Amino acid sequence: MSPAFLLQLAGSAVAVGALVATAAWAKIAKPAPPLDDARARALLAAEFPGRTLDGLWVATDGVGALAKSGGLALVLCQVGDGWAARQIPWAQAMAASFRNGRLSVDLADVAAPRAVLTFPAWPPTDLAA
Amino acid sequence: MIKPPFDPVTLATPFFILTVIAEIVLARFGWAKARYETKDTAASLLMGLGSTVAGVLTGGAVAAATLWVWSHRLFDIPMTAVWAWVAVFLLEDLTYYWFHRISHERRIWWVSHVNHHSSQHYNLSTALRQTWTGALNGSFALWLILAWLGFPPAMIAIQKGISLVYQYWIHTEAIKKTPRWFEAVFNTPSHHRVHHARNAVYLDRNYAGILIVWDRLFGTFQAELDEEPCRYGLVKNLATFNLLRVAFHEWIAMAGDVVRHPRHALGYVLGPPGWSHDGSRETSTMIKAAAAPGALKLAPAEREAA
Ligand SMILES: [Zn+2]
Ligand SMILES: [Zn+2]
Repeated sequence: MSPAFLLQLAGSAVAVGALVATAAWAKIAKPAPPLDDARARALLAAEFPGRTLDGLWVATDGVGALAKSGGLALVLCQVGDGWAARQIPWAQAMAASFRNGRLSVDLADVAAPRAVLTFPAWPPTDLAA
Repeated sequence: MIKPPFDPVTLATPFFILTVIAEIVLARFGWAKARYETKDTAASLLMGLGSTVAGVLTGGAVAAATLWVWSHRLFDIPMTAVWAWVAVFLLEDLTYYWFHRISHERRIWWVSHVNHHSSQHYNLSTALRQTWTGALNGSFALWLILAWLGFPPAMIAIQKGISLVYQYWIHTEAIKKTPRWFEAVFNTPSHHRVHHARNAVYLDRNYAGILIVWDRLFGTFQAELDEEPCRYGLVKNLATFNLLRVAFHEWIAMAGDVVRHPRHALGYVLGPPGWSHDGSRETSTMIKAAAAPGALKLAPAEREAA
């Protein structure tokens, strides 16, 4: 790599810092109010069209949700001002570690390693057998 | 001529920086439509910065291949003739269309191109979200055809740069529609918003670089619909901003599939993104078919059984 390229790279790195700072200052992200039941259902319907939900649990901090749909768990988690969703076997969700009110769900995906959801209890007390 | 006398992308870099600031400031005061999320912006810009480093590391090999092919060229095309520039403009843009189309239709190329699509935002910083691994899967070979025809390597490099710079300004929600004649011929913010959208109707559409004509010609054109606002990102969005995961997730996922199912390796490498040997995943074609009017509204597993 030539000194000219390294200089240009350093300049670009400074510019990246300035642009990120400008974006942070502007506060023009998408509005992302905490999830409620209806909003979680709407997002899940868009992500998993045609799936019926046997149960839905919205995280108490409103930044995630977990639904049961047959043998699957549908997981929704906030990423920045957007959302990511994955489906995993229900048994995997049941086996997830639950500590201090936080359920850490392994999503088994390089692009979505885990979701951390705040719940009052896990497994959920209102889970139909 | 072998070495280009100038690089359009380097020349345009100050313009990139100033226009991103302009878009943010205009949106901040409500004068333009744009959404910027800090971590997402950082990820996009760092992908852009990393891609320039990757370009330098792999540039030598790509240039050597181009030069070697050019030394076996069919015709001598002069860099000074106007017709030659018109020809390289059209042929490079056609090459780009097919490069872009296979980048979406075959996983071995999608593993790199996915990087450009993994933001849930659509703003000028998204344009700079470029792959680090573009040279690894050999898609540059498509441009070797131009060198073989006889276009000087410098001419091809300049035209590629012009195309990249053209495609920068269309990554914006601030411009709704351009005049009708322009929308008919050129790739525009509206057409490219469709390309970045994850709505079923918009998947795998509008591969154009500069001229949208190719999509109209080859049947991949989709207009932006008022009743279907674009939702940006991937069919399965990233749940992390970790830059290494952002850059390499699909390579790792592909390698994992090959290791787990060696008998189906060909399908996992050369099949379309979302292909699986047991039908447990969905390709764009499956998603589009399921969402089409009149389709059975079934979940994937039920659709398999049906
Ligand atoms: Zn694309
Ligand atoms: Zn784009």
